[in-house]
Amino acid sequence: MDTLISTFHIDIKLLIAQIINFGIVFAVLYYFALKPIISVMKNRTATVEKSLADAKKIDQKMIAAEEEHKKIIAASKLEAAAVLQAAEEAAESKRKEMLNKAKEEIGEIINQEKAKMQLEKAQTLKEIKREVADLVVASVEKILGEQVDEKKDKEIIRRVIK
Amino acid sequence: MSGENIIIEHTLFAEPIYQIGSFNITNSLINSWLVVFVIIIFGLLLRNKIKLIPRGLQNFFETIIEALLGLADSVTGSREKSYKFFPLIFSFFIFILLNNWLGLLPGIGSIGQIVVEHGERIFVPWFRGGTADINTTIALAVFGVIASHVFGVIAIGVWSYFNKFVNIKSFLEIPKKIKANPAVILANPINAFIGIIEIVAEISKVASLSFRLFGNIFAGEVLLASIAALFAFGAPIPFIFLEILVGLIQALVFSILILSYMTMATAAHAEH
Repeated sequence: MDTLISTFHIDIKLLIAQIINFGIVFAVLYYFALKPIISVMKNRTATVEKSLADAKKIDQKMIAAEEEHKKIIAASKLEAAAVLQAAEEAAESKRKEMLNKAKEEIGEIINQEKAKMQLEKAQTLKEIKREVADLVVASVEKILGEQVDEKKDKEIIRRVIK
Repeated sequence: MSGENIIIEHTLFAEPIYQIGSFNITNSLINSWLVVFVIIIFGLLLRNKIKLIPRGLQNFFETIIEALLGLADSVTGSREKSYKFFPLIFSFFIFILLNNWLGLLPGIGSIGQIVVEHGERIFVPWFRGGTADINTTIALAVFGVIASHVFGVIAIGVWSYFNKFVNIKSFLEIPKKIKANPAVILANPINAFIGIIEIVAEISKVASLSFRLFGNIFAGEVLLASIAALFAFGAPIPFIFLEILVGLIQALVFSILILSYMTMATAAHAEH
């Protein structure tokens, strides 16, 4: 051991001095270089991981939103179709109703007109008859040139009319 | 000059340049201080420049740190452990690397003073590679091995850690387990003996770490000086590149070994 120490000049004071040197190196490297660099690297890793996770989350949310969107559109399409159909049906029934009503009204009007025409016809006929009778009387008077008595008159009229 | 030859010899030890009381400031110590100074300057420059979004130099350091962390992962097996050990391991790596490389600079080992000793004029260089001195390497090895023990105690507790070496537990277990398995009466004393061997292993760790590093770097300096003595121009260049590589490899070997000691120390003792 003694020869070892004397050969290599092992000196406990130098040993301690070198340990102190290394301690200083370690402290400097640790506090000024490694600690900040490693913490920054860890932070960056965490940040990148978080951003990636966030991006994934956002993607998922977008997909979900799109699906929701599609669902809503489909639902509203269905609803719109239903509303449209209902409206069509309502319009159809309304149309029919109006048609019926119109028909009824027309029928009524026709009936009224018919009745009126009938009445007018009858009246016209009556008038015509009277006019004809008058005409006949006048013509007969003219033909006979004289007034016939009541009895004859009546007979002639009857004959004419027949 | 009286015509006497100046003796240039490569001593195994670092030579004292100046004395403060009984404290010898050796040429190796001066080199180590240079390294410490360089690292402090570097640390101060880097201090407030580290940003979340890296720019310029920070990118370069992060790349290196990321690569070394990957290397550390292959030893520790988990990023968590790597983060815990990395600052110390990285400090070892940088300190040893810079010490190794600083010993290769021109002027280191060739600038010095002539000291008259026993009537002989001896050349004493002012600078000598920090790791070409056994004191430095022993200091680093002791620091590293003790740090691995500290990490071990923190990780698995004082009692468990103590029983890795002085295995009292294995004797206490014998009465409990003997009914289930009579072989424990033989196996557990063997385990206890293995624990004692572990103590020897710890001492040999310090010895192997320190002498490997010292030997490689010192041999490299001697090699360079010898080649330069044979033919000073051009011939040493390939060897200088070789020594740059050796310096890097030795720094890496030292750090990886300390890391593996830490990993072993923090692993819980395998229970059958």
